[in-house]
Amino acid sequence: MGRGDEEEFDEEEDEEELEDEEEEDEGKVGRKRSRSRFIDDAAVEDEEEEEEEEEDDDEEDEDFGGDDRRGRRQKRRSGAEFFDLEAAVDSGDDEEEEEGEDDFINDAGAEIPDEDDGRRVHRPSIMMQEDQEDVEEMERQVYERYAKSSHVEYGEDATDVEQQALLPSVKDPKLWMVKCAIGRERETAICLMQKFIDRSDLQIRSVIALDHLKNYIYVEAEKEAHVKEACKGLRNIYSSAKVMLVPIKEMTDVLSVESKTVDLSRDTWVRMKIGIYKGDLAKVVDVDNVRQKVIVKLIPRIDLQAIANKLEGREVPKKKTFVPPPRFFNIDEAREMHIRVERRRDKDTGEYFEMVDGLMFKDGFLYKTVSIKSISSLNIQPTFDELEKFRKPGDDADGDLASLSTLFANRKKGHFMKGDAVIVVRGDLKNLMGWVEKVEDDTVHKTLAFNEKELCKYFKPGDHVKVVSGVQEGATGMVVKVEGHVLIILSDTTKEDIRVFADHVVESSEITTGLTRIGDYELHDLVLLDNMSFGVIIRVESEAFQVLKGVPDRPEVVLVKLREIKSKVERRTSAKDRSNNLVSVKDVVRVIEGPCKGKQGPVEHIHKGILFIYDRHHLEHAGFICAKAQSCVIIGGSHGNHDRNGLDHFDPRFGGVRSSSQFLQSPRRLPPRGPPIDFGGRHRGGRGHDSLVNKCIKIKSGPLKGYRGRVKEVTGSLVRVELDSQMKIVTVKREDIADTASIATPFRESRYGMGSETPMHPSRTPLHPMQTPMRDPGCKFASISTSEFWDGWEDGNPATWGVSPQYQPATPPARPYEAPTPGSGWANTPGGYTESATPRESSYGSAPSPYVPSTPGGQPMTPSSASYLPGTPGGQPMTPGNVGLDIMSPTIGEGEGNWFMPEILVNVQRPGEDSHVGVIREVLMDGSCKVSLESAANKEMVTAHPTELEVVRPRKSDKIKIMNGSLRGVTGKLIGIDGSDGIVKLDDTYEVKILDMVILAKLATQ
Amino acid sequence: MFFHITLERNMQLHPRHFGPHLREKLIAKLMKDVEGTCSGRHGFVVAITNVEDIGKGLIREGTGFVTFPVKYQCVAFRPFKGEILEAVVTMVNKMGFFAEAGPVQIFVSNHLIPDDMEFQSGDMPNYTTSDGSVKIQKDSEVRLKIIGTRVDATEIFCIGTIKDDFLGVINDPGAAS
Repeated sequence: MGRGDEEEFDEEEDEEELEDEEEEDEGKVGRKRSRSRFIDDAAVEDEEEEEEEEEDDDEEDEDFGGDDRRGRRQKRRSGAEFFDLEAAVDSGDDEEEEEGEDDFINDAGAEIPDEDDGRRVHRPSIMMQEDQEDVEEMERQVYERYAKSSHVEYGEDATDVEQQALLPSVKDPKLWMVKCAIGRERETAICLMQKFIDRSDLQIRSVIALDHLKNYIYVEAEKEAHVKEACKGLRNIYSSAKVMLVPIKEMTDVLSVESKTVDLSRDTWVRMKIGIYKGDLAKVVDVDNVRQKVIVKLIPRIDLQAIANKLEGREVPKKKTFVPPPRFFNIDEAREMHIRVERRRDKDTGEYFEMVDGLMFKDGFLYKTVSIKSISSLNIQPTFDELEKFRKPGDDADGDLASLSTLFANRKKGHFMKGDAVIVVRGDLKNLMGWVEKVEDDTVHKTLAFNEKELCKYFKPGDHVKVVSGVQEGATGMVVKVEGHVLIILSDTTKEDIRVFADHVVESSEITTGLTRIGDYELHDLVLLDNMSFGVIIRVESEAFQVLKGVPDRPEVVLVKLREIKSKVERRTSAKDRSNNLVSVKDVVRVIEGPCKGKQGPVEHIHKGILFIYDRHHLEHAGFICAKAQSCVIIGGSHGNHDRNGLDHFDPRFGGVRSSSQFLQSPRRLPPRGPPIDFGGRHRGGRGHDSLVNKCIKIKSGPLKGYRGRVKEVTGSLVRVELDSQMKIVTVKREDIADTASIATPFRESRYGMGSETPMHPSRTPLHPMQTPMRDPGCKFASISTSEFWDGWEDGNPATWGVSPQYQPATPPARPYEAPTPGSGWANTPGGYTESATPRESSYGSAPSPYVPSTPGGQPMTPSSASYLPGTPGGQPMTPGNVGLDIMSPTIGEGEGNWFMPEILVNVQRPGEDSHVGVIREVLMDGSCKVSLESAANKEMVTAHPTELEVVRPRKSDKIKIMNGSLRGVTGKLIGIDGSDGIVKLDDTYEVKILDMVILAKLATQ
Repeated sequence: MFFHITLERNMQLHPRHFGPHLREKLIAKLMKDVEGTCSGRHGFVVAITNVEDIGKGLIREGTGFVTFPVKYQCVAFRPFKGEILEAVVTMVNKMGFFAEAGPVQIFVSNHLIPDDMEFQSGDMPNYTTSDGSVKIQKDSEVRLKIIGTRVDATEIFCIGTIKDDFLGVINDPGAAS
C-alpha cells in the first residue's frame, strides 16, 4: 500500500524494457552471477526504499539511464538490506501489508515459486546494464557484490548493536495512529491503498492495520498534514478524529509481534474465560495443538434438576441468571433423579468416563473440551482452597508437583535472595538442601549452580516467617509444620493455622497481622452492619471482614463485604455491670455467666449494653468475647475514667503547678484521687501526647474556621479538637489551628481565684462556659477504684486517702467550701465527682442509677448548693429536668444517654425475656420508669429499671421528643438524619434544629 | 535457660521516701519494677539476688524526684530454640495446647503433637492417645522442646513440640484424680 510499491512497478518496468533488449548478449554473465541473486534483489529492494525518499531524483535518474544511477544504487545499498531482512523476520503477520517484503521471503528460499519467475525477469536486468560498463568497473562491481554477499551472510546473525542501528530515527518517516470505525481497520487500510493508487499526490508511505488493535490504523508519513490529506473523505475515518504520533521508541513495537508462547501442557492450571465456568480454575488434561483444543478438568457446575427436566422433556422456563455452585458430580445422586448415566471408555486414553447428557465425568470432575482461546493460562495463581479441591487423596505428590509448576511460572523477579534456604525439587539432586549464595538471572548458585525452576524455598519448623504473596499476604507467624512445599504457619495475631506455599514466604523477624484495614475499617473496630446489627472486626481478609456479631448468647461470626458495613461505631459509651458499676472501655471485666463464663479481659467496645471483651487467652475470634454487660463484673477499677481524667486535666494541672506556687503541693494531694496520680507519666507516654494536647486552640482555616476548642489528641498531622460550642470532637489538620493562649490563660486564673474550690477540675465547671461542655457526666469519674491507684502508687500514702471514698456520700452538701486539710479536701472533691455507684447507694439507698434524669437522687444538689455545683458537674446530668439547672446540663452523649421522659417509646429488655416496645408513662423518683407495654393487649404497666430500657431511635419523619439540652421536653418531627445528627422540626415554633440523635427519642403515637 | 547476670537501671524515687530507709525503699521499688519484666536480650528477670551498687542520686528539677543509678544482680530466664523445658498445660483446644514454664508461654500446635494423639472436645478438652493411656489436659505437666521463639517487648512466646523421643506428659494430676 505504500507509495513506494507503485514506484517500484514503474521503475521495474523501465528497467525491464531496457534490460530485455540486452538480455541475449548478457546471457553468460547472467548465469555466472546467479550466485549473486540475493544481492541484486536486495539492491532492487533498496532502491524502493530509497526511492520513497528521493523520488524526484530517481525520476531524473531514469532519464539519464544506467551508469550514474547504478553507481548510486550500489552506494546506497549500504546495509539497508539488513533493515528489510530484519523487518521480514520480525514482523511476521504484517508482511502481507508490505508487499515489498515478499521478495525477501522468496529470496530466503521460502515458498511461492511462481513469483520467482517474476523476479528473474528483473534480476538479469542489472547484470545486463553492467555489461555496458568497462571491465574495470565490472570488476569492481563484482568484487563489491561478492563482498556484499558475504556481508549479507554475516548479517543473518547480526549483533545487537548492528540491529540497533536499524531502528527508526528522527529522519525516518513517522508513524501516525488514526482512529477509524471499529471492525473496519482492514477495510480502511485497503481503501487508503486504493486511494493511493488512484491519486498520485498522496504523500503517505504505508498503512498498517493490526489484527489485535481495534479502532485504529497506522499510517506512515512524514507529516501529519499528509496523513490528514490521505484520510480526508474516507467514510471509516472520522474527520474529527485526532491523528496521534507514535513515539519513535514505540514504532518498533507496532510492527513486532508478541510471541505467543502459550505453552500449554498437561497438568497446568488455567482459568476459564467464558461461560458459566468463567473464572473457575481448571486443570489441563490433554492438549490438541492442531485443533486448538484442550481437555480440561473442572469442578462441575451443573444443575442436575435441569438435566433431569431436559431429559424427560419437561419444559421449564430457563433462568439464565442462575449459575449453579461448583460441586462434584455424584452418580448416585444423578441416578436418583432418573438421569441415565452411561459408562463409556474413551477411545484414545482407554479411561472410563461417566456420560450424562453429553458431558463427561470422572471421579466427580467434569472433563470438558474447550478451545484454547477460551482459557487463560497466564498468571494463574490458584488459591490454596482451589487446589485443595482438586486434590484427590493419594495423589498429593502429583498434585503438589503440578501446583508447583504453576507456582514457578508465577514467580516474581528476585524471588530468591542470597541466604535463602532452598531445596532442590527436580533432577538428580532432588531433595538436596542448601543456601543461596548468588543469583544470576535465572540461575541460582549454591556452590552448585541450579536453574531457578529446580529450586524451592525451604523452611524448618520454628522459623519465623512472613507471607509475601498469595491470599495471606502480609501475615507473619511461626512455622509449625512443613508438608512438602506447604507450610503450616501459626499466625502471630490470630493464633490460627495458615497453610501457605513455601514459595510465598520469606524469613522475617517482623511481626504483623497481615492485612489490617480495608477502607476506613480496621481490625478490631466496632462496626454497624447492614441489618442494624453490629460487631467487631476480628479478621480482615482480602476483600471481606470477619465480624464477631454482638450477640451475647453464642459467638456468631459473619463474613461481610466492605459495602455491607454501614459505619464505624466510635462513640464512647459505657454500660453497667451486674452490680451496677459503670463499665467503660478498657476496664477489665470478668464474665460471670453465659457461654463465656470465667473469661476476663479488658473491654474493647461497648454498644447497646453489649461488651466486647478482649481475652488474650481466648483463641477464637481473635480473642474477642461478646457478652452482655449485665453478665459481667468489673475487676479492679475503671480505667476509662482514669484515662479521661488524666487526659483532660493533665495540662491544667501542670499549668497550675507552673503558674502558681500555691498549687505546688497539689500533686501530693492528687494521688489519692486516683486519676491524676499518674502525673502524666503514663498518659504522656501514650499516643498523641504533645505539647498541644489540652491546649485551647482556635481553628483558623477550613470548614470549621473560627471555632474554638480544646485539643484532645494529636495524631501525626491531625489534631482532634473538642469544640467548645458544639458538643463534638472533630479532626482537623494541625496547620489549621492556632493556639489561643490568650484565651486560655485568663480562664485559668479565674479558676485559681476561686481558691480552695476544686481547682483541679476546671473543665468540669459549668461556670466557665468556655469549658467544653462535653466534658461529661460524672460517669467518667465513676468507679475509680482505690485499689487501682494503690497499685500504681506504691506505698506510703496517708491512710486517710484510703478511706476517702467513704467520705463521699456524706460530703456533698456539707463542706464544699472550706477545704483546709487535704483529707477533707479530698473527701469532698471526689464526692462531687465520683458518681460511682457506691457512694450513692450508701447515701440514698434506692438510687441505683445516678444518671437517671430527674431522679430525686440528683436533688441533693438543691439550688442552695448551686455554688457547689460548679465543682460537681457529675451531678448535672441527673438534673436536667430541673428548672434553673437546665442550662447547666451541658452533657449529652458520652454517658449513658438515658434521660427518660414520659411519652417516649422505649424497648424494654429484661433478662430472660424478649424485648418489648413500651411507652414511658411516668418516671419515678428513683429513676425507674413506669412503662406501658405496647404489645400487651391490656397495655400492661410495668416498672422498669433504666438499665433495662433503651430509647427507641426515631427514624426519618417520626415524631420525636427531645430528651436533653435546652430543648428538653420539646416535641418535633425528625425530618432528616445526617450521620449522628438529626434534623428536627420543632412542633411549636416550626424551627428547624440540628440535634444529636442521642438525645432524640421516638414519641409514642397516641 | 537461667542466667545470673548483672544489670543496671536508673531508678526514680519520690522525695517522700527520703529518710533513713531510703535504701530499703529503693530496693523495694527496684524489685517491684524489675522482677517479672521481660526484655528481648535477657529474657525474664526472675529475681533480684543482690544490689551491687547504688550510685549518687540526682535531683530532678521541677518534680523533686531523685534518680539513682542502681547496679544489681538478677536471675534471668530466657528460652532458646532447641531447649527442653518442663511446663504446665494451661489450655487445650483443637489447634493445640498452651503451656507455661514460669513466665513463658509455649504453644504446642496439634501438628507438633504425636499423630496418635487425638483431640477430644468436651468439658475438659484434651489430647488422648487411641488407647487412652496418655492424656494431655489442663494442668498436665509436659516435657517439650522449643522450636521457635518470638520476643515481644513484654513477653516471650514460644512454639514447642512434643513430637520427639522422651517428650510428652511427665505427670498428670488431672488423670490421677
